Amino acid sequence: MKLPRYTRAHLWPLAFLAPTIVGLLVFRLLPIFWSFGLSFADWQIFDAPSFAGLDNYVGLFTSPTTLKVFRVSALFTLLYVPGAVGLALALAVILNSGLKGMAFFRGAFFLPYITSVVAVTLVWRWIFATRFGLLNNALDWIGIEANPAWLADPGFALPAVVIVSVWRDAGFYMLLLLAGLQTINDEYYEAAKVDGANAWQRFRKITVPLLSRSLFFVLIVALIKSTQTFEITYALTEGGPNGATTTLAFAIYHRAFIDFEMGQAAALSYVLCVVLGLLTLLNFHFRRRWVHE
Amino acid sequence: MKTFPLALTLSVAAAAAQAQDVTLSYMMWDPSQLEIEQATIAAFEEANPGVTVEVQAMPPSDYWPKLSALAAAGDLPDVFAMSSGFVDGWAAAGNLADLGPLTEGTDLSVYYEGAMAPGTVGGAMVAFPQNWVAPVLYYNRDMFDAAGIAYPSADWTWDDFRDAAAALTLDNDNDGTVDQWGYWVYGRYAHVDTWVFRNGGRYLNEDGNRLALNDAAVNALGFLASLVLEDKVAPMPQEMEGIRQQDVFPLGMAAMWVDGSWNIANVRSVADPEMNWGIAQVPMGPDATEETAAAYAWADMMAIAANSEHQDMAWKFIQHMVGEGRSASDFLGGKVPAFRAIAESEAWLERDQKPDNKELILEIGAQNVYTGFSKNWSAWRGYAAEGTGGMNGELDEVFNGRKPLNEAIEAFTAYGNEVLAR
Amino acid sequence: MNNRALWALYLVLAAYAVIALAPFFWMILTSFKEQRDLFRIPPDFTPTVLFSDTPLKNYAEVWTKRDFVIYFRNSVIVSFLAAIGQVMTCSLAGYAFAKMELPGKNLLFAVVLATAFVPAEVTIIPEFLLMRWLGWIDTWLPLIVPSFLVGAFGTFMLREYFGALPDEYGEAAVIDGANPFQVFRRIYLPLAQPALIAIFVIAFINNWDELLRPLIFLNSPELFTVPLGLLSFFSQYEAAWHQLMAGSVISVLPLILVYVLTQRYVLQGFMGGGVK
Repeated sequence: MKLPRYTRAHLWPLAFLAPTIVGLLVFRLLPIFWSFGLSFADWQIFDAPSFAGLDNYVGLFTSPTTLKVFRVSALFTLLYVPGAVGLALALAVILNSGLKGMAFFRGAFFLPYITSVVAVTLVWRWIFATRFGLLNNALDWIGIEANPAWLADPGFALPAVVIVSVWRDAGFYMLLLLAGLQTINDEYYEAAKVDGANAWQRFRKITVPLLSRSLFFVLIVALIKSTQTFEITYALTEGGPNGATTTLAFAIYHRAFIDFEMGQAAALSYVLCVVLGLLTLLNFHFRRRWVHE
Repeated sequence: MKTFPLALTLSVAAAAAQAQDVTLSYMMWDPSQLEIEQATIAAFEEANPGVTVEVQAMPPSDYWPKLSALAAAGDLPDVFAMSSGFVDGWAAAGNLADLGPLTEGTDLSVYYEGAMAPGTVGGAMVAFPQNWVAPVLYYNRDMFDAAGIAYPSADWTWDDFRDAAAALTLDNDNDGTVDQWGYWVYGRYAHVDTWVFRNGGRYLNEDGNRLALNDAAVNALGFLASLVLEDKVAPMPQEMEGIRQQDVFPLGMAAMWVDGSWNIANVRSVADPEMNWGIAQVPMGPDATEETAAAYAWADMMAIAANSEHQDMAWKFIQHMVGEGRSASDFLGGKVPAFRAIAESEAWLERDQKPDNKELILEIGAQNVYTGFSKNWSAWRGYAAEGTGGMNGELDEVFNGRKPLNEAIEAFTAYGNEVLAR
Repeated sequence: MNNRALWALYLVLAAYAVIALAPFFWMILTSFKEQRDLFRIPPDFTPTVLFSDTPLKNYAEVWTKRDFVIYFRNSVIVSFLAAIGQVMTCSLAGYAFAKMELPGKNLLFAVVLATAFVPAEVTIIPEFLLMRWLGWIDTWLPLIVPSFLVGAFGTFMLREYFGALPDEYGEAAVIDGANPFQVFRRIYLPLAQPALIAIFVIAFINNWDELLRPLIFLNSPELFTVPLGLLSFFSQYEAAWHQLMAGSVISVLPLILVYVLTQRYVLQGFMGGGVK
């Protein structure tokens, strides 16, 4: 293997990256390797850790409860990422079309992201309420009398958590996409109009390719975020009913600070990291295919 | 002053400083209680010149991560609140000071014996109760009067309970939807475990290291499930989703409800001031005898860090915080002070407020008390109202009619034993 | 666009705006209620306190009950410093990753990104032990310094952003004798203004909302941030929801302010920045 040769010319990028490198080593990697080491320990936080080999990892893959956590997390990501990014893209494109009053709508759509989760979730609990809830009453009104117990039925609880999460984050992704949209030169659209392209064609042929860079970025951010959704689950369903909304982030908090099993929580986290790392690598790999550089 | 040898002056001052300048750190989990506690703490500081108490309060969901971090660093506060359900685990790890030597010479008979029980692990006292609570049967007197039935009494059987619940379940407008439920059951420890223990039921084996439900426990769970699924005198919990479980009774949607005595405060604040209600004991089960029927009660504890440098002062502080210096109004309605004289005072009984029979809680505490706590209790039972793991989630499935009881018991026993084997 | 399509579009936007704003209005409404009116079924829409003699009662209680003025000041300082730091270091790093040559830089970038995948719950105990070793417990340093030095989100975003800008802009300056920092500072940084503001806003919001770290690292009430202050409305079993909502409204105001103030610049950055 040939070691890279560093020359004086590399001093500049190194200087630019110096704060990041220092911060990374001291405040990120050190705690991460530390806790990675602890994933091989039997450690109740308030107790002294003792070496446990691969016990924590073996335990994860043999316990039916953790396997369920993986399943729930995967499903959450599959529903959340397309939902949130799709909605954000639609909102961003509409808001970028230069209509009047867009500043207001932009602010309004972003508001859920900064409103206190606890406050938000109290309202959503009412919306999802089985007998008195807004949603079921609305469904009744249009003739659907299923009246599902949104937050208490294992089949509906995860979609409910996804809905609230999408609702909360879409405005954030919209803002990021909007920043990308505004770098697209209007002249492209004007030219396409002259050529007789309709709105869908313009979206497909101009917006998507030129926005692909931002879109890729938002997808990765949404992917990361989908695995860290904790507060909404905590306030809405507490991981229930019977584990139906216990995603990895929730399980990790629970293992760490309710069961105090820090070794297991760490093992769970590093399994999550490997999965996410692979997904991201895959994303970067496919990036070449669809992102317009 | 000039005639005084300088060196002596200095050393006296230094000695005085050493003897007096103590800073005690104290962490508690009830921020809204902080103002009340601060007044009591100020009184302690005044009575002990040179002692400063630094207090921090945060709700339980944030308290445990913080306390864990401090424990990991060996920086536990001198005095901290401890949950009855966590005492075993924290004591086993050597974090809690043995209070035995400190309590020597203290008359402990002024405190409730039953409240002190969860703080004793392997014969050593490692945590001390500040107050204790017990689940009670809440009932709506207006609804009982309207149905023309007698209020719950000490000699009620479970059949009496079932009949009353049936008579109190009403569909006033005959639209097929129940408007008033006889009972409201929820699957957490405070709502279920009293029924189990009052039937002589046990979740754990003799040694307390494996889940092995006895028949009385299975029957008690079956009784509760049948109230919902067969008699239909209690709603499925999912029907009520969207209303906080503790509001169903005060909002007048159910005539009876079992939950911890601390909910007296919530019922007072949510219920219509005109609503007439009382509390009663959970009826004794058919499988139990006076010997095997156990009351369920547990305490909020205070503990001293094993590595605290001021253990004597810490114990003095605990005594001040739980002892005769407190007044009945310092305790949230339904929390019983561990110090008997305050609990048994007229001020604590609050005759001018509902319920008018708070002494009932004291009667429960005087009985044979059992808690069923074990190592990792929070994981297999499901800590407090938090989380839907362990038994909580499985019982929800049963009460919502999605899983037969025997399958649920099988599932949570398997999970519980996995947890207990760790 | 014809008229009917325009109306349809506005209708969709308005409908979604209602959905987006409703919880916020509910929060404000609740902050003007009495505790006992909060959980009525069906929900009650009357802000009873607002029509009483003391319309701002809940707010006054929140403001005076704890040292909210101090928490507020603390949150502003911490969030501002952390966010400014993010903008500075992330722009340097993002630029280096996008426009400069350095063997192994892609690996380094991958590591920066990968660290974002590790949940804070797991690293918080080692972090606590580290900060304790540094003697930083009960100071703001653990809340500011790490955030100041490295930010995965901002670095990633600016790497994308600088990457999208043509290399030619810089080449012209190099011919004129500018050094790499001058190229960055004079040519590219001004062009990235909207992205920088977006990062500032997001970093400010995230730091403002952060609960776990301040909770673990701070002990002294005079250092507390707003989210820690809001915890004081919780008790062992309950929460004083009406006051909590008033506190939440107060705590979200600076965020709205930051957003409203900066969103103009997000636009201006593009229009005046010379991209078009």
